[in-house]
Amino acid sequence: MKYVCDICGFIYDEATEGPMPDDYTCPLCGADKSHFKPEE
Amino acid sequence: MHCIRKVTDDLLWIGASDRQHPHFEAVLPIPNGMSFNSYLLLDEKTVLFDTVDRAVQGQFFENLEYSLKGRALDYVFVHHMEPDHAATLGDLMLRHPEATIVCNGKSLNMIHQFHCTDPKKVILINEGDTLSTGRHHFTFYNAPMVHWPEVIVSYDSTDQILFSADAFGTFGALNGILFADEVDFDRNWLDESRRYYTNVVGKYGPQVISLLNKVVKLELRMICPLHGPIWRKNLDYMLDKYTKWAAYEPEVQGVLIAFASVYGGTETAANILACRLAELGIPVEMYDVSVTHYSYVLSDLFKYSHIVFASTTYNNGIFISMENLLHVMAHHNLQNRKVALIQNGSWAPCSGKLMSQLLCDMKNIEVLEAPITLKSTLAPGQDQELEGLAKALAASVRGDEPVLVEDNETSKPKGFVCKVCGFIYEGDTLPDNFVCPICHRPARDFEPLS
Repeated sequence: MKYVCDICGFIYDEATEGPMPDDYTCPLCGADKSHFKPEE
Repeated sequence: MHCIRKVTDDLLWIGASDRQHPHFEAVLPIPNGMSFNSYLLLDEKTVLFDTVDRAVQGQFFENLEYSLKGRALDYVFVHHMEPDHAATLGDLMLRHPEATIVCNGKSLNMIHQFHCTDPKKVILINEGDTLSTGRHHFTFYNAPMVHWPEVIVSYDSTDQILFSADAFGTFGALNGILFADEVDFDRNWLDESRRYYTNVVGKYGPQVISLLNKVVKLELRMICPLHGPIWRKNLDYMLDKYTKWAAYEPEVQGVLIAFASVYGGTETAANILACRLAELGIPVEMYDVSVTHYSYVLSDLFKYSHIVFASTTYNNGIFISMENLLHVMAHHNLQNRKVALIQNGSWAPCSGKLMSQLLCDMKNIEVLEAPITLKSTLAPGQDQELEGLAKALAASVRGDEPVLVEDNETSKPKGFVCKVCGFIYEGDTLPDNFVCPICHRPARDFEPLS
């Protein structure tokens, strides 16, 4: 499952990164996990 | 009194330059000032393209009211919400409540955050939306993280103009000139254009590439950025620069030597190395990183293919101005460079190992060999080491195959040294899957003991 940061568009891919940790922050813009939405 | 220039028959430049503020974004020196561009389109509808920084608000509002000549302001296209363009948007909305703000949802959110106000009329745009103002037809594209998340660019298909927000911008006041073809850009503006891009946008290379991929599909006759000259000729020149910068590709195959020296020992080593490189015909540049603001050094880190970091040890660490530069380099995502190190320490030199550790955390940085180590000053014979380093750098710059030295039985290496931390592995061969037990670097970061 891929997740997209709704602030900057960065894509987190669970297939390569594993499950997203609760304290994850976007490496591009710093947004927290709540800003990541499943990719449509 | 107004001070404006014509861009086309119905598009005016109504921006202004500031020459008194010493810094841009609080930290970047602007000894040549800074321009803040705003444009006004006088079509069947009137369109304002962004506002300006507080520093030039007086001139901007005079320019706007003169140029409108009593007409209503129909639209404000908000490309970027950073206050160097949008600080005066709040006042603009008070003066022209009849105007419709055209922006995306992220910008609207920032209008609430910066101006604590809700615009009376808004058109929220999505990727690819269009708007016609009479003769002109606009399409909007998102450009996230170039260099803020809300940034959009707009394309006028009638006159084939791209309003590019901060992309293709530069430092420097516009001293009468408006178009890049009115100046010798390569000679007088390129360095400051590079310093602007690398420091303000440099971290977001992949996002710039996404924007360039959209832009390359458009028929382009003109690029109107929010800072600096307008491009209406030789657009390929800037597109080529941006393509290199965004991919972190160097412009010059050559060597930048960044040094931090307190009493001259390290500086002398840097000077000698630079002389040897110049004698070999290799382009070379030097900076004392304690004297030159990091923004200039960062700009040249992007420009050159090879970098030598030479630093004294200070309080058991990297000298502070060099450590700062390396953090700036990492923050800006610089990658794809070959580096060499010189370290100094009157009793326990360790800046080399510490610089290696910072560098090896960056992408695709190759440390060419173990550091040259000074103890206070160069010892007799160490000029040979510098000459050897110059030759190794020159060979790497030219892309020569590394010279294989013929080994006889007696001179086979008895061990390998980690180029990053100095750990020594004893043995005739280093296993391919070896991992340094001290700093965890892989086998390819080891070199044979000479």
